[in-house]
Amino acid sequence: MHKLKAFLSDDKNQNRLIPFLSIILGFLVGAIIMVISGYNPLAAYSKLLQGAGLYGNLRRFGETLVLMTPLTLTGLAVAFGMRTGLFNIGASGQMLMGGFAAIAVGLLVDLPKVIHLPLAVLVAVAAGALWGMLPGILKSKFNIHEVVSTIMMNWIAVWTVYYFVPTYMMGKYNTESAAIPDTASLRFEWLTNLFNGSSINFGLLLALASALLIWWVLEKTTFGYELKAVGFNRDAAKYAGIKVNRNVVLSMMISGALAGLAGATFYIGYTDNIKIGELPSLGFDGIAVALLGLNTPLGVVLSALLFGIMNAGKGFMQAATGVPNELVQIIIAVIIFFAAATQLIKRWLRYFARNEKKEKANGGEA
Amino acid sequence: MRKRVIALLMVVMVVGLMIAGCSQAAEATKTKVGMVTDSGTIDDKSFNQGTWEGIKKYESDNGTIEATYQQPDNEAETDYLNAISDLVDNGYNIIVTPGYKFETAIYKAQDQYTDTKFILIDGAPNDGDYSTDAGPTYKTGDNTVAIFFNEHEAGFLVGVAAALSTETGKLGFIGGMEIPAVQKFGWGYLAGVKYANDTFGSNAEVVDYVYEGSFNNVAGGQQLASGMYDKGIDIIFHAAGGVGVGVFSEAIERATNGENVWVIGVDSDQYEQGKLSQDSDRSVTLTSARKGVDVAAYDYIEAALNGSFPGGQTITLSLADGAVGLPEENPNLSADVLAKVDEAKQAVLDGKVIVPSTQEEIDAFLK
Repeated sequence: MHKLKAFLSDDKNQNRLIPFLSIILGFLVGAIIMVISGYNPLAAYSKLLQGAGLYGNLRRFGETLVLMTPLTLTGLAVAFGMRTGLFNIGASGQMLMGGFAAIAVGLLVDLPKVIHLPLAVLVAVAAGALWGMLPGILKSKFNIHEVVSTIMMNWIAVWTVYYFVPTYMMGKYNTESAAIPDTASLRFEWLTNLFNGSSINFGLLLALASALLIWWVLEKTTFGYELKAVGFNRDAAKYAGIKVNRNVVLSMMISGALAGLAGATFYIGYTDNIKIGELPSLGFDGIAVALLGLNTPLGVVLSALLFGIMNAGKGFMQAATGVPNELVQIIIAVIIFFAAATQLIKRWLRYFARNEKKEKANGGEA
Repeated sequence: MRKRVIALLMVVMVVGLMIAGCSQAAEATKTKVGMVTDSGTIDDKSFNQGTWEGIKKYESDNGTIEATYQQPDNEAETDYLNAISDLVDNGYNIIVTPGYKFETAIYKAQDQYTDTKFILIDGAPNDGDYSTDAGPTYKTGDNTVAIFFNEHEAGFLVGVAAALSTETGKLGFIGGMEIPAVQKFGWGYLAGVKYANDTFGSNAEVVDYVYEGSFNNVAGGQQLASGMYDKGIDIIFHAAGGVGVGVFSEAIERATNGENVWVIGVDSDQYEQGKLSQDSDRSVTLTSARKGVDVAAYDYIEAALNGSFPGGQTITLSLADGAVGLPEENPNLSADVLAKVDEAKQAVLDGKVIVPSTQEEIDAFLK
């Protein structure tokens, strides 16, 4: 018990515990709501996991991984911004531009798959980076806050797609583009077959590789150190001779590039066309993923997996037990609430640690 | 603290298990019917809601089915296929999907789940491959029925009603996206107006005929309607889903200020939606061009249960089937107008009038 107490009173450990406690609390609140509304929470959670393929259904597990893929990347985009002192709230717009660029390359260029697909992905990354770069420049040159400018860039992205898709890439209806040819798709026959016909695509590997790359940049390179230094304290970084303005722009570009890649995995992996007038909510979900993942690449991957599981399993849960799938949204919201309310949980942990001590003391007297 | 949490958890589990134990025993023999919504929600006052109401009606009338629906987060084929597999894997044997957006998903699902029966409303299963000149490959499996409607016949009747009810002689039409189902409503409407002018001596003209380009741009619908009413158009027929919500708001606002403007609803009876306020007894809904998605869902669930499921067929439901037409009650149409609409209806049923359903036919009809 003493060890536990010591463990709990350490600030670093508390921070690491918070996401796990939030998840437990989220599911607990979900269970209470289900009991009040007359459902069996154990059966529902079991079906949730079954629907996400955790009991061995490969196709379903593939769908979980598919849903996790863009979330990992938008989560990384937001987390990378956070680590370098930027709140990139425009991951949705960057993702949309990335997807739009990938679709454009897919439809307007005719090449063999070995060239076509990498080209589409690279252009998507570049488009996302560009969409992140503009707010970065605005911030470094004119000190315009990135929250304001990235939100505006979201809408510029939406209306850009709204104009260009029906004009140059119209599909059967004027609200969506045509479907991309197989040569530009992130899906591969062998991968689909490996997962029994799920819509899993190559984007997953890109996402995991990106997580590894971001970890390496942030933790193992001077460049990453400089970026983080700017995030911790701009003035100190400047005093230390770090080019703050350049680093702000670069951070936004990298963040945007990750979101752009998310767009590629979504629009040429998960779907095969782009619809107009829709801002993907996945960019905003990325904020939640980053928060729960403590802005670390590994944490982002794990929390994206959790979100993937819940989103993949909720339909199955509803069909099997009648629990409305909106409940999953409630659980996610509660998790995010507790993950954000760090001081509240820390106080609980300290209280818990103190109680352990008291109990021990009482036990000693008896 | 900790003890309390543990105690609470145990209560949760015990109560939950008890409830589950009770509910599972009761419903064992019922056929499970599942529906997947297309864009929009289950309470969209239109397509999804109509279909769901048909299913629920069957459930309450007969009690032999157990129904649920899935509302996917996105509108990609993958989302639809996942929703379908969630239902099928849980023992749902009949799947109802409203909307052309399901065409490609059903094309795949019908082969994947051969023991499941699919009812596709307003669409025909195809592979969605428009890259070749031949167009997509269509195939309706033995376990699937594709249902279409003669929307033009409903459009025709509301066109007659509009021509006979207008005071300014100016009529408007607002379509959603330019897809066949919407176009047919519009063509029928044009034909109905002309028929009324020729037969009953009315003097009406459709002066504005536009497609908004979406089914969800509420503000766009309101703007279009505002422009039309300003021009002196007093009746607008909308076949535009959510865009129509904007048309209704504009009409309600103007009617509240004493203007004499009307809307003709679409798909289901939209009388309630046209009410000036929640408990007002006045509605701006002149009438509605009803499309019986509820009837279709009801009838084909019955067919599937009776063993008379017309698998592999593409079926078109018409005025004669009672699947399209005006609502039962039309408080805003005068008795005289209603009588004449009935005359027109009889003429269609007797085959004296062939309502145009293609661009060429309508061009010829209006000549």
